[in-house]
Amino acid sequence: MPRYAMVIDTRKCTGCQSCTVACRVHNKLPVDMIYNPVTTHGPVGKFPHVRMTHIPSLCMHCDVSPCVDACPTGASQQREDGIVWVEAEKCVGCKACVMACPYGARVSNHEEGTVQKCNFCKDDRVDQGKLPWCVQTCHQKARVFGDIEDENSEVFKLVNGSKNVGRLLEELGTEPFVYYLY
Amino acid sequence: MSTKIDLEQEGVEVRKSVCYFCHQNCGCLVYVKDGKIIHFEGDLDYPTNSGGLCCRGNVNLIHLDHEARVNFPLKRKGERGAGEWERITWEQAIDEIGAKLEEIREKHGAEAVATAGGTSRTDDWARRRFMNLYGSPNGFHNSHLCWIPTFMIETAIYGWSPFEIDLGLSKCIVLWGQNPAISTLPEQAGISALKKNGLKVIVIDPRFTETAAKADLWIPVKPGTDLALALAWINTIIYEGLADYEFVYEHCVGFDELTEHIEQYTPEWAEPITGVSADLIREGARMYATSKPGNIQWGVAIDQIGKPAGAAMHARAILRAITGNLDCPGADLLTGPSQEFITDEEMELNDMLPEEQRKKQLGSDKYKLVTWPGYGRIAEITKKYWGKAPTAEWMCEAHPPSVYNAILTGDPYPVKALLVSATNPINSYGESKKVLAALEAVDFLVTCDYWLTPTAMLSDYVLPMAGSFERPTITSTYGCSDFLMCSQRAIQPMYERKTDFEFWRDLGIRLGQKEYWPWETLEDAYFDRIKDLGYGVENYDEFVEYFRFHFPEREYYKYKERGGFATPSGKVEIYSSVLEELGYPPLPSYIPPAENPIDHPELAKEYPLVLTTGAGIMPFHHSEHFNIKELRFLRHEPHMEINPETAEEYGIKDGDWVWIETKRGRIKQKAHVTEGIAPGVVFTERGWWYPERDLRAPELGGCLESNTNVLTSTADEHCDPISGTWANRGLLCKVYKADGSDGKEAN
Amino acid sequence: MSAKHETWGWMLAVDFFFAGMGAAMLLFAGIAELFGGSNLSTVGILAGAVFVAIGACLLILELGRPFQALRVFMNPKAILTFGAWNMSFAIVAGLLLGTSYMEIFPWFGIVGLQKVLAVICVICGLVVATYPGVLLGRHKGRPFWTGSGMPVLFLTSSLLTGLAAYIVCGWFTEVAPVVTDLFPYLAAGLCLFQLVIWVSYIWIKSSGGSVHAVEAVRRWTKGNYATGFQAGFMFVGTVVPLILFLIPNATAVGIGGLLAILGGLIMRNLVVYSGQDRTWLPGEKEYRSRLPQGHEAFLQKVWTKQI
Repeated sequence: MPRYAMVIDTRKCTGCQSCTVACRVHNKLPVDMIYNPVTTHGPVGKFPHVRMTHIPSLCMHCDVSPCVDACPTGASQQREDGIVWVEAEKCVGCKACVMACPYGARVSNHEEGTVQKCNFCKDDRVDQGKLPWCVQTCHQKARVFGDIEDENSEVFKLVNGSKNVGRLLEELGTEPFVYYLY
Repeated sequence: MSTKIDLEQEGVEVRKSVCYFCHQNCGCLVYVKDGKIIHFEGDLDYPTNSGGLCCRGNVNLIHLDHEARVNFPLKRKGERGAGEWERITWEQAIDEIGAKLEEIREKHGAEAVATAGGTSRTDDWARRRFMNLYGSPNGFHNSHLCWIPTFMIETAIYGWSPFEIDLGLSKCIVLWGQNPAISTLPEQAGISALKKNGLKVIVIDPRFTETAAKADLWIPVKPGTDLALALAWINTIIYEGLADYEFVYEHCVGFDELTEHIEQYTPEWAEPITGVSADLIREGARMYATSKPGNIQWGVAIDQIGKPAGAAMHARAILRAITGNLDCPGADLLTGPSQEFITDEEMELNDMLPEEQRKKQLGSDKYKLVTWPGYGRIAEITKKYWGKAPTAEWMCEAHPPSVYNAILTGDPYPVKALLVSATNPINSYGESKKVLAALEAVDFLVTCDYWLTPTAMLSDYVLPMAGSFERPTITSTYGCSDFLMCSQRAIQPMYERKTDFEFWRDLGIRLGQKEYWPWETLEDAYFDRIKDLGYGVENYDEFVEYFRFHFPEREYYKYKERGGFATPSGKVEIYSSVLEELGYPPLPSYIPPAENPIDHPELAKEYPLVLTTGAGIMPFHHSEHFNIKELRFLRHEPHMEINPETAEEYGIKDGDWVWIETKRGRIKQKAHVTEGIAPGVVFTERGWWYPERDLRAPELGGCLESNTNVLTSTADEHCDPISGTWANRGLLCKVYKADGSDGKEAN
Repeated sequence: MSAKHETWGWMLAVDFFFAGMGAAMLLFAGIAELFGGSNLSTVGILAGAVFVAIGACLLILELGRPFQALRVFMNPKAILTFGAWNMSFAIVAGLLLGTSYMEIFPWFGIVGLQKVLAVICVICGLVVATYPGVLLGRHKGRPFWTGSGMPVLFLTSSLLTGLAAYIVCGWFTEVAPVVTDLFPYLAAGLCLFQLVIWVSYIWIKSSGGSVHAVEAVRRWTKGNYATGFQAGFMFVGTVVPLILFLIPNATAVGIGGLLAILGGLIMRNLVVYSGQDRTWLPGEKEYRSRLPQGHEAFLQKVWTKQI
């Protein structure tokens, strides 16, 4: 069984937000909904000695996923390959998962009354052997997706072969499967 | 939520198309069934984007059938700008426009008709072909602001512009006023991949851009003072003995004159002008001169600094020459025009424009480089050497501000009609208020566009244009590259849209040019251009299907085989005989920015801050895409940038609406207080208008409210005397908080 | 993207308030029945059950799809499911217990049943009075909530508002003597306790917590919650009732009860809304602050085809 993961190279990301748009267009999200924001940290420091980093995010598909635990209906689920997703039919829109997620990765759809989130484009991309939209659209190849159990995968090599690798809010113990290179 | 589309179903055809929202033309695979697009994605096999698409690329299908698109020819019914339209047929539109143009030519001469363009996302050879046959020399684009003067100065000096950069072997790239991380994403991907191999990146930019954030060296030059920096770099390289003396003495003329001339321009001299420390200036110069081979990538910044622009381009060009970073592996390559396919220029029929009409080209008496005097001379030289000339549409155009002035004043002669295609001049050309006045004043205005832009709203006719996926495309760097990248149209244009080629062809035929327009379709015309390449294909679509590209083998040191460079002396002319011939200084001397506190102390009292405008911002492109909600959501209001120190001085807090004012007028944007810009410097975002507002006059979609071009200057004394480019950067401004009484806020 | 996408609103806060108050009332009723064999107040017990029911209704209304509400009973691991079951039991047990003191009901005075119901009221009441605090306290990504403090704060407030509700009942209906004799002093004690633990909580969050907590708690000390928290909850809702409860005068004690209830309501709202402060990722706050809120003209614009 694969364990899907993403590695995001902040040294490459330029904050162009293409991934945000690709995601919303292909997943047909409401115009005011974003699964994968790209934030800008900085410029920090004082002119001209400044630095700036762009931080793309998305659902971290955590191993210890507080959102799944919080869901009273069982709509929030995690597949064996690690993908956390919401079964829309079961969701009642209580937002317990929205609140439980430390990464802000879940959003309410007010039209539908349900909660939505990134599911690594499982249906029309990953399960078809294709890359999630945010990965394919990135000119900078700042997002790398793959099976981290597979020692030959790029994600495995990047995570295990880099010194400057970390995860967001690691101290919360959610065991996220999105890694950041910096 | 599954959005799965069955791409394997019967009857689905995959078309090799490109995104048409900027010149990168990223490859796309478009899935078509029954003439309708069911899906598209970035083409993983396309060499530039490898499947990648930017924000804009991703909204192609939203753009394609957006509710606000113009889909049928429209004729004005009520007053100009009243927004009352009658739907007419193409035949009627072409017939009536043709009749009007005939009438104008009879009464006022062909030169009384001008055309305005925007970016190179039209088939401009067709426009020029029409204009040459019609007899008017007054076609223009925003070419001055975008590479064209650079191309022509470099061609005057080296015999072609070395825009082909051999990055794979390079050790250093200078990004001079360019932000590929936002504006040319595939290029940035290449740069960041090569950084691992030791490629050094120098970014020269007043702003700490996304690209600067990843650079080895950021040189925050004060807007408009690039010339001082370039001169100080030359000084450093020569006086620290870092020049490539072998190249200089064997292949250049004027090095000794330069050495003497440049002595005065020390880094210490440049420090107070540029706001960059002499040490940092030296560090940059050394990095470029010693990390060889190296590249200087073109960026629009110098094209847009107005008065000092020509000299700055010359100085920048000299940097390549004295370091020998020309046409050698890893450097900037002089490919010359293609020797194999028919170039844009060869499609233009420039010989059909009589000499006496060339002389009437507006602005060519003052600004000679990119008008007939300079272009004619340079084309003569390159034809002798390469057998071909640069594309005339772009490299040889009327001076836009001079055309707008002629419309307004009738001086030197009246301009009665303006045919606008692929531009919204109110937001894209300098001094918007003047441009708006000219558009209101011109007798006859026709706009070809996707949308009812503020300009289209003022037009007598608006014609629906085919856009992305609805037209085939040849990507060839303004027709000046030696390679071709070709793509198919995915579908025939929807509704009654047509390509601009068809517009010019139909109009040409209406005006008796039938014999010169043998091609029924754009594909036919394209096929004519490539059929002699020897691929054995029957038509253009087949070429795209099986080959798609034509990349000639890369040759270095062409000047060695060809016996020199395409210049009068056959050498790189540091000391430029062409410029001298045209009456310009043969070596670059320092010229301060159009407005600056030293030469204009009184002005600086009222307008104490230095302004830079015009940089590209995601997710928009020039004045486009403000009506695409999916993009606008990411940046729904305009933001100007200001340093915290300066902001505090003026009582401005992050997120405040502020007025930015120059002598030309004022605009409103929100303050982004950031350490990424020097104290005393202000940056405003370009392009802004509000398509959601009332588009009728006088509101015109709020086209002046936040439009940075209200601030820019096209006054003759602010234009570059060589090229005529006007001043978007290096101007003086003031900034103050907008209070509630300032009228309605944006949104 | 407005905050409506991301946080719970006032209905959940009011749910927590009513459910907490009602649950505490049932808890006290259960204890009185079990250990004293006495009826605190029939009206009070029924009110307690109704309060919990009101809370449950608000909880349902807060849902994006209220008609699917029954699904919340599905995931035994989820604390909301646990809460939903307990609320249901509490409502039923409370109603039965309250009515068991009324002659018109067939189960009037069945002691065995009353004892069983009392046990359920004690257990479920305690759970419902506490679980919202546990629910919030488990949110590692909400720095103001996270930690073991929330259950204590919620339980305290529930108990206080429960006592206060009985005291207010005593104004216009018959109550057991313990309500008038003892409850004001218990309530005063809880006010004092509430004061101390809230000061401690804010202090700990603003000094001993993470950077995110320090940022979040600023809202309570200097920011937009400062007045509501300090003047509304701490002074009017805690200190003033503390004093009033100690005055041996029915009116003063009754007003104290009302103010303490008001305090509980204010506190639940402030706490629930402070869930909008998350463990922001670098640059995220600025990013979100620049996104449209939903009312902008470009978002409202409806394009129509040209001709």
